[in-house]
Formats: sequence, C-alpha cells, structure tokens
Amino acid sequence: MRCILTALGLLLSFVLNASDFDGIVKGKVFDKNTGEPLPGVYVVYGKNLGTTTNAEGSYTLKTSQGKLNITFQFVGYESVTREIFVNDNETIELNIGLEMRVREIDQVVVSANRTEQRIAELSVSMDIIKTSFLTENHITDAQELINKTPGIEVMDGQASVRGGSGYSYGAGSRVLALIDGLPFISADAGNIKWQFLPLENLSQVEIIKGASSVLYGSSALNGIINFRTADATNVPVTQIFTEAGVFSKPQNHNWIWWNAPRKFSSTSISHLQKFGRTDFGISGNIMVDEGYRRLNDETVGRISLKLKHFNSNVEGLNYGLNLNSGYNVKRDFLLWEDADSGALKQSPLTAVEFHGTFIAIDPFISLKKSNRYQHDFRMRIQSSLNRLPTSEQNNSDAFSVYSEYQLWYRLSDFLDLTAGASENYSKVGSNFFGDHHSLNIAGFGQFEMRPLDRLKAVAGFRVEYYTLDGINDKVIPIFRAGLNWQAADYTFLRASFGQGYRFPSIAEKFASTTLGSIKIIPNPDIRSESGWNTEIGIKQGIRIGEITGQADLSLFLMQNSNLIEFYFASYSEGVGFRATNLEQARVYGTELEFALIRSFGAVNFTATGGYSYIYPVDNSDTYKDTVIYLKYRRMHSGKLYLNSNWRKFDLGININIRSKILSIDDVFLNSFTRELFLPGFYEYWQNHNTGYIVFDTSLGYKINERFTISFAVKNLTNTEYMGRPGDIQPQRNYSIRFSGKF
Amino acid sequence: MKNLALLFIISGCLFAFACNKDKPSERFKFLTGPVWTTDSLLANGADASGPGQLLEPFKGDAKFKEDGTGYFGIHTGQWSFFSEETEIKITTDLPVFGSIIIPILCDIVELTSLSLKITTVVPNLANPQEPHKIRLTFKAR
Repeated sequence: MRCILTALGLLLSFVLNASDFDGIVKGKVFDKNTGEPLPGVYVVYGKNLGTTTNAEGSYTLKTSQGKLNITFQFVGYESVTREIFVNDNETIELNIGLEMRVREIDQVVVSANRTEQRIAELSVSMDIIKTSFLTENHITDAQELINKTPGIEVMDGQASVRGGSGYSYGAGSRVLALIDGLPFISADAGNIKWQFLPLENLSQVEIIKGASSVLYGSSALNGIINFRTADATNVPVTQIFTEAGVFSKPQNHNWIWWNAPRKFSSTSISHLQKFGRTDFGISGNIMVDEGYRRLNDETVGRISLKLKHFNSNVEGLNYGLNLNSGYNVKRDFLLWEDADSGALKQSPLTAVEFHGTFIAIDPFISLKKSNRYQHDFRMRIQSSLNRLPTSEQNNSDAFSVYSEYQLWYRLSDFLDLTAGASENYSKVGSNFFGDHHSLNIAGFGQFEMRPLDRLKAVAGFRVEYYTLDGINDKVIPIFRAGLNWQAADYTFLRASFGQGYRFPSIAEKFASTTLGSIKIIPNPDIRSESGWNTEIGIKQGIRIGEITGQADLSLFLMQNSNLIEFYFASYSEGVGFRATNLEQARVYGTELEFALIRSFGAVNFTATGGYSYIYPVDNSDTYKDTVIYLKYRRMHSGKLYLNSNWRKFDLGININIRSKILSIDDVFLNSFTRELFLPGFYEYWQNHNTGYIVFDTSLGYKINERFTISFAVKNLTNTEYMGRPGDIQPQRNYSIRFSGKF
Repeated sequence: MKNLALLFIISGCLFAFACNKDKPSERFKFLTGPVWTTDSLLANGADASGPGQLLEPFKGDAKFKEDGTGYFGIHTGQWSFFSEETEIKITTDLPVFGSIIIPILCDIVELTSLSLKITTVVPNLANPQEPHKIRLTFKAR
C-alpha cells in the first residue's frame, strides 16, 4: 500500500511540477553487481517529487535550479541518495548502481550440497563470512578471518570446528580448505596453505560445521571452509587497498626485545571485467610483517587469475582456467626462550627460515541446462616447494593432480541427483618425509528430495580407495542423510547425520627430524581416523518492528575413532613426539548464532555473533567413569560483532571471548620434561590459562564514492593471551588503510 | 511452540541414544579383568628382575584398573590403550628406569584372558646409543 501511495504521489507531483523546471537530470539505474538495468525504481527528490525508471532502467527529471538530494529506491535493494547542484538549463547525467539487499535467511550457498541452495533450507550448520567483514576489520590473514567465526578456533594454523580437532603441530588438518570447491591443502603435511588463499578476490566464505567427507572426501572429517572467489559482472570492478600498521608494547614490559616498533604492511589489488563472452579477473597481494616476536617475520606475495569463456555456439557451455600462486619467506615461531623476559623471543635453536613457492592451476569445463542438468569437470594441478636454506635436509617438494567430474540431474520435480567421481594423485620428494606417492580414487552420489512442499531430504554416499607407495588401504564407504522442514514462513528445522574419515598425511606417517630439543618420530603404521557427527537445529527469521535478521540454534554430537595426535612418550624409536592413534573422542554441545539489522534514520546498525558450548572428552573404555578432556579445546567461546554506519562514517567493534584451554600435552606439565621444552611455561600456565576477551575496533570514513580511509585497533585492551603453549598472541596493534573501489 | 516441542523431543531421543556408552571391548576386559603376576622380565634378552636390576621394581603383581589407573610392581600410575588397542601407554607416578617419568608406549605382543606380553624400548641414560629393549610377560593370577 505504501508503494502505491508513493507512486501516486510521485505521479501527481510530477504532473503538477512538469511545467516549472530549469534543468534536467537523467541517467540509468542498474544492478551494481550484474550491471542489469532496473525498471520501476523510484527516483525521488524534495517532498515526493520524482519519477520511476522505464523498462531500460532510464529516467529523466526536470527540476528547478539549485541543490538537489535525489534518492533511488527499489524493493530488495539498498536505497542510494545523491546530492547534486543543477544550474539553469543544465543537463546532468547521473547513473546509479543499486546493491541488492539480501536477507540473511535467503543467502545462497553452494558448499553444503555442491549445488546452489538457500542457507535456510540446508540440513547442516553453515556459516557465511562476507567480504565486507575483511575490509571493515583490516583482515589480511585468512587464519585471523576464520578464527573470528563462532565455534571455530585456528590454533597456530590448525582449524578446529566445534572442538573436533586439537593441535597437532601443523600436520594433518581435519578441516578441509577449498577454493571454489577444490581442495587446497598441501600434499605433504596435509595442512592448509593459509598464506596463499586469495583474500583479495572473494565473494564469500562458506563454512560447514561437521563431517563433510561424503561430499569432499578425506580431510573433511571435521568440516570444510570454502573460499569462493568473485566472478566478473557487466560492470568492471577494480578494488585496491594499502595498509600499514605497528605493534604497540605488550602488557608485560619485560618481554620487549626491540629497539624500534615492529611494523607490518599490506597492499592489494583486484580487477574483474567481462570482455564480450569472456570473464577476466586478476588479483594480487603483497604483505610484509616484521613480527612482534623475534625470529618470526614473514613476507608473502601472491597472484591469482580467473578466465572463463561462455561458448557462443552451445548454450550453457563454459570453460576456463583459474590460477592461484604465491611465494613466501618466513620464520615460524615454535618455542619461546623463557616466560620471564623471552616469551616473545624465539630460541635460535628452533628458528628456521622457510621459503615456500606455491602454484595451483585449475582448468574446468561446464555444461548447464537450467533446471535440467549440469556437467562439471574440474582439475587442480598443484605444486608446492618448501626450501629451508639453513636446514636443507628438511626441504620438501609436493606435487598433486586432483580432478573431478560431477553431474547434477533433475530426475523429476521432487528428486535431484548429484553424482560424480574424483581422483587425487600426489607425489612428494623430501629428505624430511622421504619420497612417496599416493592415489586416492572416490565415487559419490547424493539424492535431494522434496517429497512435500516444505520438506527437503538429502541422502548421500561415498566410496573411497587410497593407496600409498603401492600399499592399498581398505575401501571405505561412508554415508550422510539430512532433513529440513520449513515449519513456518521463517522457521526451518533441520536434522543431519554424516560420517567422515581422514587418511593420515605423509607428515604424520613419515616426518622424522629434530627441532631444537624436540624429536619427531615417524609412524608408518599409523591408521586412518574416522568419525561421525549428528546435529539438530532451528533457523528462525526475525522481524520485530524495525529489526530484521535471523537466529540459529543447534545441538550437535560428534564422535571420532583412532584420532591421530602427536604424543610425547618413550617409543621404540626413542623419546619424542610421534603421531599416534588415540582411542575414542566425543564432543557434544550447542551453538547459538544470530544476525540482526536495524536502521535508525540515517544510521544502519548490524549485530552478528554467536556462542558455542562444547564438552570434549576421551570416550575410551579406559575412561568410562573418568572425565578426561581432549587436548587443546575450550568449553566456551563467543563472538559479537557490532557495525554501524552513518553518512560517510563506519564504526565496527568486534569482541571475541574464549574460556581456558581444558587440557594440553603432558610434556608441558610433566616435571621431568616441562623445563626442557618451554622454560618457565608451567608456572605461566598455572597463572594465565584463564580465558580471555579481546576487543577489536575500526573506524572508516568514505572520502568520496570511490575511496575510503579507515583506522583499526586490534586487541584494544592489550590483553595478554595464548594459543597453543608458548604461542603468545599479538598485543595491541594499530593500522591505517586506504582503499578504493571503482 | 509445537515445532520447538518436536525439536526437543527429537534432540532428547538422539542424545539419550548417543550418550549410551558402548560395551567394553574384549581386549579391554582381558586386560582389566585379572590381577597379573610377572612371569619374566627381560632387558636386552636377559633377566633383569634381580635385586638392584633395571626391572626389579616391576616384579610382582600388576593391575590395570578400568578407570585408567593401576599398579605395576611397586609403581602406581595411569594406563590407556593406543592404536586400536595394539599399544598400551603407561605413565608412572614416580620415575622409572633411572629418572624417566614420561609416558612409555608398549607394543602388545599377546593379550588373552591368561597371558599378557608387552615390549618396549626405553632410553639408557648410561649409554644413550644403546637403549634398553624390554620384554615383560605376565600370567593371570
């Protein structure tokens, strides 16, 4: 009704004012993302004066001389207001791109079922991170980005979803990282190459919380993180930023080891454009971080390319090539010197310089007939070279070829089939791990059913075969099933069950080295780990007065067998760390997440956040009546992100809360060994393992339509806190960023 | 409200089902059932159970309790299975083999209701190049 009245008002005012004008304002209104013209957009100025756009998205206003505030309004899009000055007899051209306003509950994702789906209709828990979160919070490190997601902790590079993983010294990830649906983990250590993820050209990040092996195979035992890159649209888009920052002093002044403040900087560019029927994208980033810890600096450069061509002869056929590559030089931080004055100083005995080169080339071809079928064939040819100039015996070359074919077929109005096959061949050449080759072949199928109007069901299976150095592992069949029922217009209930497994990485099987006082012992007999998780949840759309948004509550339970963890003990091969199959692990818990949006006049306000509770225990027979917590887990974690913008200003506050770590390796507590590895750690741990709250803030100012300047303070209160033992997290740091989009 | 009730009923059933502990395995029952008594204690192939010898403190009875604690000769400590119950981790409360108080991983060579044989290698503090190869055999009492 309000729209009709507005339209009538506009029409009337237009008629009344038609004969009294001095200037002309005309232009086109289009969708900012796709470039498509938008017909029927209200173009309003003054008190209900204005017009609407025609079928081509064009409009013409005849107005009197003077200053004019023109507002462009359209259902489902963010309104835009422009201030212009019209001179006598002047014609001004004003073209406007409107940005679609997506309701949280209607967001489209692809990772959950490998096909496009509304997030509300999924049977599993999924989080979406929008790129605006990176920009607003000055995030240049993918680990930091993921670590700020409710229910997820990245501990020194190892991601854990809802307590499904602990910390295993950088080898073997139970969370699979993907770029555009293709695996992005190294063939040797089986870890995520965080530094080479193309953050500068993302559309969104999708995170599945729970076993996802049926769709994505080994390493997806605990979940997946899919980094989806942005495609070119009708409007060419170039984005840049350059940022510089500095670390302040830590709370404990005894830890200061530098003479001049430690600095960091980052510069990034991305460009997306269509050339006829070809999409083109290029992006790059250079990051230099001096590090707040001694012997812990890093320089990273990466570049990505995207090429996609739409065939003019065959409708729905497209093909192309993506490339992600990078080079980094860094020194990882392993052990501190001591807790009193050397917590931010790495022992020179463990400081190793590392030079990494990475390239992944992804050719693909796709044939799609809307609502009928889609064939996809994709490959990833990946090479990573690790060079350690001061300890060449630890050099490693890893090469892999991953390919997959996937068919999506609509069998009937209520039944879809997704099926496919994949292979992954890896070859590792290394003194550190030895020379090895492996082959992983899998077939998968999944049915999606809509037996009732509001009910969706999914059932899938996967069969996986793995051979390492010619020795065959057993064939593994796994299953998943899920339900989603739309109980009311904005209420969705879900339930799911999924199995998962993970083959041990080559590092876990064969790593053999000595780092300072730490000896790593190989374990060629280590077995695969497996598990399952089940979950029920409710997603509720919210509209309370002017507040819109969603809330999501889930209860989950996961259980793993033969969990692989590095364990310090006296083995046949000597005393040290060795990957070992522990017994049963069980984690259950609950998670609440929400996103709320409210406008107060010119002020837009957004609040997102979540709270996770987990209960992670060793479920072995031995501990039937005893509670033994799994290592490196926290029982409580919460996040709150508040963002508001007013005119040209944008203010953000990010709060992360985590409770204490429940349990760590005995080697750091045992009186026989603790001083050997981390001097002073035991006492520090007794006093400081208490949980923490960290505040990050940012303030942005839009200089004009294209450029923004922003200032961020991370760890505002200069909280002292630790990740894994000996890994003191960054103290307060400041950064300033200049960014542009045009 | 009806939907929420349904959700809670389903979740209650699911968690009640999931929280039921699995039955203990056969090997768990074999190990924790009897009190074991030492049959032979060998270090580098020779008996080392005599007075003052390396394995003397382990001589006598051993009990692996169901709660993960136990005693092994004069030592008390904790134990747990590793690697699909093919290994046992033993951590003693007091130093063993000189001054070792770190967990010791032992391979289970044989485990039946009547017999237990485990082997391990422990550091030789006097001669680090030649660690002790240990073999312990027990009989159910």
